[in-house]
Amino acid sequence: MDKYTQAAWIIPLFPLIAFLVLTALGRSYRRAGVFIGSFGSLAAFAMSLLILTDRISGSEVDYNDSFDWIAIGDYTLRIGFEVTNLTALMLVVVTLVSFLVNVYSAGYMKDDERITVFYGYVALFTFSMLGLVLSDNLLSFYIFWELVGVCSFLLIGFWFTLPKARAAAKKAFIVTRIGDAGLLLAILLLFWYMPDHALDFTTIQSVFDGQSGAITNGITTLIALLIFLGAMGKSGQFPLHVWLPDAMEGPTPISALIHAATMVAAGVFLVARTYDIFQDSAAAMETIAYIGGFTAIFAATIALAQNDIKRILAYSTVSQLGYMMMALGLGSLTGGIFHLFTHAFFKALLFLGAGSIIHAVHTQNINEMGGLGSKMKVTAWTFAIGALALAGIPPLSGFWSKDLILSIAWEMNPLLFVVGLATAFCTALYMSRLFFLVFTGKPSSASSGAKESSALMTVPLIVLAALALAAGFIETPWNGWFGGWLNDGAEEAHDSAVAIVASIAVGLLGIYIGWLVYGKRSVSSSALRESTPWLVKVLERGYYMDELYAAVIVRPLKLIGSALTAFDIYVIGGIVRLTGAAVSTAGKTAARLQNGQVQTYGLAAVIGFVILVVAIVGRRFLP
Amino acid sequence: MSILSDIPILSFILLSPLLGLLVILLLPKQRSGWMKTAAVITTLVPLILSLWLYTDFDKQQGGASFEEQHTWVEVPLNKESQNGVSEFLFQFQYELGVDGLSLPLLLLTALVSAMAALAAVHVKKRWKAFFSWFLLLETGMLGVFLARDLFLFFIFFEITLIAMYFLIGIWGYFKRERAANQFLIYNGIGSAIMLIAFVILVNTAGFRIDQVGEQVNFIYSGSYTDIFRNMADPTAWVNMSPEQLGSINPFLMTDAMQRALFIMLLVAFGIKLPIFPFHTWMLKVHTEATPSIVMIHSGILLKMGAYGLLRFGFLLFPGQARSFASLLAVLGLVNLLYGAILAFRQREFKLVLAYSSISHMGIVLLGFAAFNEIGMQGAVFQLISHGLISALLFLIVGSIYERTGTTELNELGGLARSMPFLSGVLLAAGLASLGLPGLSGFVGEFLSLLGLFESMRWLVAAAALGIVLTAVYVLRAVLKITYGPLPERFGALRDARLVEAVPMIVLLAFILLLGCYPSILTDTVQLSVEGLLKPIFATRAGG
Repeated sequence: MDKYTQAAWIIPLFPLIAFLVLTALGRSYRRAGVFIGSFGSLAAFAMSLLILTDRISGSEVDYNDSFDWIAIGDYTLRIGFEVTNLTALMLVVVTLVSFLVNVYSAGYMKDDERITVFYGYVALFTFSMLGLVLSDNLLSFYIFWELVGVCSFLLIGFWFTLPKARAAAKKAFIVTRIGDAGLLLAILLLFWYMPDHALDFTTIQSVFDGQSGAITNGITTLIALLIFLGAMGKSGQFPLHVWLPDAMEGPTPISALIHAATMVAAGVFLVARTYDIFQDSAAAMETIAYIGGFTAIFAATIALAQNDIKRILAYSTVSQLGYMMMALGLGSLTGGIFHLFTHAFFKALLFLGAGSIIHAVHTQNINEMGGLGSKMKVTAWTFAIGALALAGIPPLSGFWSKDLILSIAWEMNPLLFVVGLATAFCTALYMSRLFFLVFTGKPSSASSGAKESSALMTVPLIVLAALALAAGFIETPWNGWFGGWLNDGAEEAHDSAVAIVASIAVGLLGIYIGWLVYGKRSVSSSALRESTPWLVKVLERGYYMDELYAAVIVRPLKLIGSALTAFDIYVIGGIVRLTGAAVSTAGKTAARLQNGQVQTYGLAAVIGFVILVVAIVGRRFLP
Repeated sequence: MSILSDIPILSFILLSPLLGLLVILLLPKQRSGWMKTAAVITTLVPLILSLWLYTDFDKQQGGASFEEQHTWVEVPLNKESQNGVSEFLFQFQYELGVDGLSLPLLLLTALVSAMAALAAVHVKKRWKAFFSWFLLLETGMLGVFLARDLFLFFIFFEITLIAMYFLIGIWGYFKRERAANQFLIYNGIGSAIMLIAFVILVNTAGFRIDQVGEQVNFIYSGSYTDIFRNMADPTAWVNMSPEQLGSINPFLMTDAMQRALFIMLLVAFGIKLPIFPFHTWMLKVHTEATPSIVMIHSGILLKMGAYGLLRFGFLLFPGQARSFASLLAVLGLVNLLYGAILAFRQREFKLVLAYSSISHMGIVLLGFAAFNEIGMQGAVFQLISHGLISALLFLIVGSIYERTGTTELNELGGLARSMPFLSGVLLAAGLASLGLPGLSGFVGEFLSLLGLFESMRWLVAAAALGIVLTAVYVLRAVLKITYGPLPERFGALRDARLVEAVPMIVLLAFILLLGCYPSILTDTVQLSVEGLLKPIFATRAGG
C-alpha cells in the first residue's frame, strides 16, 4: 500500500515550518527553540519511517508528483517529488540523524546565546536536505543542492566572530561552488539533448538505460563527468576535498549532521540517482572509481598524522566517501549506498562522541587528552563501537559494507583492491591511535577535571552505537536482501573469501600496531616521528594542497585582478579623462558666459539640438 | 474588459509624481519631515496603480496592452506640393503603452522609487530641491517605460538625465561634481547618438501617406507603432527597393543603413547598460551619489539601457540584431568576467557593488544573445532581479555608512554582532546576488545561460566560471563586513530602525517571491515574447 508514500511531500514541511517559526520568534525563546527544532525533525522522522515500512512491505511503484515551475512557450521547468526505495532509505537516515543531533545540541549548545538561530539553521538544513532527497528531477535537485550548501556555509561560520570560522565558511562555499558549476552545465547539456527537454530521473533512466542511442557516447561521458564534478565538490573528492577538514570550525553537532552523515553523502546520492548515465559510459565509471580510490587512500594517510580530533574524523570522512565513490565506479550501486548507510551512523556517532569529549576537556588536540576512558564511560564505550565499525571489524556494520566493496574490487580491479586494503589498514591504524591516545594512558591536565556529559548528549550516542552495531546485517555475504530491495530484485552476489579474510586481517593489524605504539607504548611514537620527519610534515599539512591552491589559483587570480584594476583605472579611465577634457575645453570656448556644471549640460543639450536641426534641415536637401 | 481601460491609467501613473512635486513646492522650506512624508506618499500612488495594472494585465488573454494616444505636435514642412500632395507633416504623438516587456519594468520603477524615497531619510540638506528632483526623476523613468513615440521617449530619457545630474552633483559625497559631470558627458554622448538614430528612423521608417478625402498627407511619424509596423512590412516605403518601386526611393533603408543604425543604438544604450568599455562613468556615480539615488541609478537607470536596446534595437532591426548575436555574447561574457574579477579586487564596498552591476548586466547581454525565448526571458528576469537586489544592497550601504561613516572594507568588520538584522539582510542580498536558488538572482542567471546554451555552448562553459567568481567576490565583501571580530568603536551601533527595516523587508520579500514563484513574472513577459519577439527568433532559421 502507498497510503503514506503519497503524502511524502509533507516531510520537508515539518522542518520548514520549524525554521519559519524559529525565525519569527527571534532569539529570546531559547527553550522553545530547542523544542520546536527537535519536534520538526521528530515528526519528519516518524513520517519517513512510515514510508520506509510502506516500501519494505512491498509497494513497487515509485510515487511521483510534480508541477510547472516555469513555463516558456514549449519548454517547461518542473519541480517535483518522488519516492523510490533509495529515497525512502535516505529520508530515514537524514531525519533520524537530524533528530538525534537536535537532541544532542540541546546539551552541547545550551550556553550559546544564539542557540535559537542555531536551531533555525539546522531546521532549514534538514528541510533542504529532505527536498534534495525527494526531488524527482535534476533542476529541483540542484535548487536544494545549493540550499544545503548555503546552510552548511551558515553553520560552519556559526561562530562568525572567529576569523578562522569565517575563512572556513567562505572556503566551503567557494570550493563546492566549483563543483556546482559543473553540475549546472550538466543540467544544461541534458536539457538540450534529452528528448522533450526532460530532466526528471525517470526519463533519464529510460533514455540511458535502453541504450536508445538518443545521446551519443561522447556527450554521455561529458554529462556524467560534469555531474561527477558536482558530486566531487559536495562529497569532498580529491582535489575538491580541501574545504571539508576546514569545515570543522563549525559546531561539532553540525560536523556530525552535515559533514559526516548527510550533506557530504549527497554527492554519492547524486551519482546513484543518475547512475544510468554513468553506466552508459565506461570512461566515466573508470574515472569515478580511480578518483574515489585515490581519495580514499590519500585522505586516510593524512588522517594518520593529524592531531586535532575533528580533523582526523574529517579526513576519515573524505576517505570513506572515496570508498563509496570507488564502489559506484566499480559498478556496485549497492556497495556505495550500503556504505553510505552504515557510515552515516558510525561517523555521526564518532563526531558526537568527539563533541562530548571536547565539551568535557575544552581542547581538540588528542595529545592533550588521555585517560578519559574511566571518566567518561558511556562516551568511551560508544566511541569504541564507532571506531571498530569504521575500522571494519566484524560483526559491526562497517565491516559488512566495507567487505562488500572490497569483494567487488577483488573481482573487478586488483589495483583498486590493494588501494582499498591499504586504506582499510590506515583507517584501523588512525582510529586506534586516536582511541588509545584519548581514552587510555595517564590523564593530562586538560582531562583531569573531565566529567561524563549529560543524558541529552549520551542518549543519542547510545542510539547511534546500537545502529552502528546492527545496521550491517541487512546485507551480508549470505543475505543479499538490501541489494535486492535497492535494485528492484536485480541482486548482486559478492562473497569473496579472500576479501573477507584480508579485510579482517588488515583491520586487526592496524589496531594492533596502534595499540603497540599508543596504547602499550612499547614503541615510542616520537621515535617514529623523528625517523621520517619530512613525511610527518607532508602528511600533517595534507600534502600541501592548500599551498598548492594558493599558488596555482588564488595568487594568479589576485594578480590578474590587480592588473585589470590598473588597466581599468589607467587605460580605460585615461581615455575617458581625455574625452572629458576635450569636451570641457570645447565647452569653455563655446559657452564662456555660463559657469559651473551647468555649462557641461548646456553643451550636451546644444550638441543634441544642433544634430536635430541639421538632421531635419539636411533632410530637405536630399533628392 | 475592466474598469482600467476606461480611465487614462497610464497617464495617471506617469503624472502622479508631478502632482506630489507641486505639493512639495508649496510646503515650507524647513519642514523636512512633511516633505519626506509627502514624497513617500506620492511614490506610493504609481506603485499601487502599477501593481493593479500588473494583476489586471495578467488576466488578459493574448497580451492585449493598455494604450493611450493623442496627437501632440504637428510641424508642417513647406515643401512644395507636387502630384496632388497637400501637405508634409512631422507628427509626434503623446502615445503611451505597456506590454509584457515594459510592465514589469514599470512596476520595478514604481517599487524601487518608493523604497528609495523611504531611504532618503539620510538626506541632510535642501530637502525641497531634493524631493522635487527626485519626483521629476521618477516621472522621467516611468515615461521612458511608457512612451510609445520616439521623441516622447527621448524627452523622458533626457529628463532622467537632468534630474540625475543635479541629484548626484548636489547631494553626493566628496567628488560629487566630477561624478555628475562625467555622468552627463557620457550619457549626453549616448543621447546624441540615440537622437541621430531616431531622426533617421522618423525620416525613413516613420514615413507614411494618409489620405483623407481629397487631402493627401505625407507624414513623418515619430510613433513607435508606425515605425515598428513599417519596418516589418515589406511593402512599406522603407523597405521598397528602387527596382520594386520603379523610381528612386528616398525613404529606403538599405542593409548598410540598418546595420549602422543598429550599431548606433547599441552604443547609445550600451553606454547606459553599461557595456565594457563604456562603464567607467557609472563607477563614479555608484561611489559618489547618495545611496538612495544609487538605488535608483543601479536599480532602474541601468535597466533603461537594456530596455532601449530591446525595444528599439532588437525589435526594429531583428535581422541585424541576430547577425550580431556572437558579438553580443562575447560582450556579455567580457562584462560578466571583467566585472567579477575587478569586484574581487576592490577595497571599497560600493565599488565592489558597481563592478558587480557590470558583471550582472553581462548576464542580460548573454540572455539577449541567445535569440530564443528562454534566453530572452532570462535577460528580462535578470533585469528585474538585479534591479531589486542592487536597490536592496545600496539601501543597506546607506544604513551602514550612516552608522560607521565608512564603506572601506578594511575598516569594517564583525557588524553581525552589533547589527544582526542589518547584517542578516546584507547576507541574504549577497546570496541573492550570487545566484542562490530560492532567490531571484538564480532564475535570471539560469534561464539566460540555459537559453544561450542552445547555440553557444563553449561560451556558456566560460560563463560558468563567472558563477564561481561571483561567489568569491560577494562572500569576500559581505563576510568582511559582517563576520569576524567587531572593532571596538562599532560596539555601540544600533540595528536598523523601522523606517529602514520596512523597505529592506519589502525588497527582500519580492526577491524571495520571484525566486520561489518565478512564473508570476515569466508568464507576463511571455505574452510579449510570443507576440512581439517571434520575428527575432524566426530570423534564426534563415540566417
